Amino acid sequence: MLIEGPVKTMKKILALAIVLVMIASLSVAAYADDVKVAFSQIGQESDWRTANTDSIKGTIEAHDGWTLIYDDAQQKQENQIKALRNFITQGVDYILFTGVVETGWDEVLAEVNEAEIPLILIDRMPDCADKIDYVAAFGGDFVEEGRRQVAWAGEYLKSIGRGDEEVAVAIMEGTTGSGAQVGRTEGNLAALKEYPNMKLVAQQSGNFTRTEGQAVMEAWLKSVDKIDVLIVQNDDMGLGAIDAIKAAGLVPGKDIIIVGCDSVKAAFEAIVAGEMNATIECTPLYGPFVEKTIEDLEAGKTFEKTILHPEEGVYDCVGGIDLGTVTSVLAADVIDSRVY
Amino acid sequence: MKKKQFNLSSIMQSKITWAVVAELLILLVCFIIRPDFFSIKYQPATGMLYGSLIDILNRSAEITIIAMGMTLVIALAGTDLSVGSLVALSGALALKFLRWDVLVYNTPGDYTVKPFILVILVPLAVCTLLGLFNGFMISRIGMQPIIATLILMVCGRGLAQIVTNGKQFTTLYSPFRVIGQGSFLFLPMPIIITIVVVAAVSLFVRKTAFGTMVESVGINPSASRLSGIDSKRIIMICFALTAFLSGIAGLIMASRVMSNDSNNFGINFEMDAILAVVIGGTNMAGGKFSLAGTVIGSIIIRTIVTFVYYFGIVSEATMAFKALIIILVIVLQSEPVRQRMSKVGKKKVKGGAVHA
Repeated sequence: MLIEGPVKTMKKILALAIVLVMIASLSVAAYADDVKVAFSQIGQESDWRTANTDSIKGTIEAHDGWTLIYDDAQQKQENQIKALRNFITQGVDYILFTGVVETGWDEVLAEVNEAEIPLILIDRMPDCADKIDYVAAFGGDFVEEGRRQVAWAGEYLKSIGRGDEEVAVAIMEGTTGSGAQVGRTEGNLAALKEYPNMKLVAQQSGNFTRTEGQAVMEAWLKSVDKIDVLIVQNDDMGLGAIDAIKAAGLVPGKDIIIVGCDSVKAAFEAIVAGEMNATIECTPLYGPFVEKTIEDLEAGKTFEKTILHPEEGVYDCVGGIDLGTVTSVLAADVIDSRVY
Repeated sequence: MKKKQFNLSSIMQSKITWAVVAELLILLVCFIIRPDFFSIKYQPATGMLYGSLIDILNRSAEITIIAMGMTLVIALAGTDLSVGSLVALSGALALKFLRWDVLVYNTPGDYTVKPFILVILVPLAVCTLLGLFNGFMISRIGMQPIIATLILMVCGRGLAQIVTNGKQFTTLYSPFRVIGQGSFLFLPMPIIITIVVVAAVSLFVRKTAFGTMVESVGINPSASRLSGIDSKRIIMICFALTAFLSGIAGLIMASRVMSNDSNNFGINFEMDAILAVVIGGTNMAGGKFSLAGTVIGSIIIRTIVTFVYYFGIVSEATMAFKALIIILVIVLQSEPVRQRMSKVGKKKVKGGAVHA
């Protein structure tokens, strides 16, 4: 064809230009003595996740000499795999990774290992964590959170003189099969054995949402004769349950003791208003940890292949409840400093 | 005077009959396990009737309201997958206007209540517009309904996220609470809203020619057009109505928990609404439809959920349990079963009339 010639020449010039630009940018990158930290995030699914992203992004971007390459996977595993391969191609210095699901990471994480890029696992651990190399791992301890929920209720009952009274406990679980639900349920049930006066009378999933928390509580209030303590595996379900309890003519926080998990701002507000009793923290603020870990690694320090947990608090309506590993803090004292 | 002849055979063949039978069977099981499942008391704290049956009607409101529109859409041989996303969007828009962190919770903050009526009107108007967009894509551009509404299903939730900046707001503004938690004539407000919506839609489709035109377009769009029915307009109206009703459902849902939740509001509502329509006896292939059947279908779905909560079916088994009941209901309504049962009603089966 007639126009083929010019088009081909154009293409060649264009290709040449692209190559030149790439070389130029590569050399610029090579000269700048930057630590390139890549972060593959799941996507924005909740306030918790948003706070998690903001914390990590903010810390790295604010750090001198570090640049952040951020990828939001929009809840899709294939996007994350693509992002990880991109990170390898770009030759980043560190990869921060939290997987949207537990399985299916073997291949791509092995590629990261082959490329000898230090891998830092955060929040959700892939099931292949034993088979791959990582330099550090950091995430919440769901089992401990579940244990603390029940322990708080048990110790609180003791403190108000109901330690020997037989109390009925209902556990509202999160989305069936999620890491948080599995871990917290394990912790809940294990801790219940420590408090023989607390009897489990109901157990059901409220899918981590306010709407379902409300509907499940509404049904329980009719089907279960008496509920003294409500353990909700996240604060949102507790906030939903509060409305259902009020609709039944009971007083949330007094007739039914409510212990939540996550420590979102709305839970603090409910505790201060006297409608909820305690919330176990599950912090999304990973930034400081990530910063310290990378600084240590840069300085040549190495970590054991174990999962580290953040230091988390317990916030409640009375303060000073001793749970062995942690002592609770009065929610009203810290509500103003909460950022999420 | 019209006088309907009592015909046991045709009653036994009607899908609605079997939907009602299925619902009564589930309730019978509830009654056998716990007779107090049926107890209804007056609750002075809220001024409402209080009981599991009330809960079922109350919590089925969202799906019943959406399924009214969905029935018409399915009668047009279409389907609307965007309803769940519109529920989320409607809730997000309402809370956007309501950000009201009242001093009760010690958090002085944004205090931006606009004239309250906007909180209702804006979500409904936006949803209706998006419904018109659905209808436009389908009737004017000629897209398949399932594809056209899939677009909005995916991006609607994104819009909801953008509206609230990905955040979950909580409000304590009491006039808004009335929609989902208020009461009228001792009944929860969502039940009242449902009754009004069902009555309005029924009157609209049955007292005007609209229902017949919908069925006609559903059976044969070309023939309908040739006989002078403006099928494009019918399609536009049905999709806009469904979206409008989704907006109402979103307001109810947001008002129940006084917050928005763009990730979880209306999840799987399109499936529940379609299921309610199908259980109610409307054929997915379009044509004849039954609004009464849809109401019963929606109530069946909610009865199953309430059953699961009430009797504490372990959460791992919940999904399987729901599926089992729904399979039973659908099988009970299926052609072979109904044919067989209708014979019970006939005095004599004519030779050769037996179907396989």
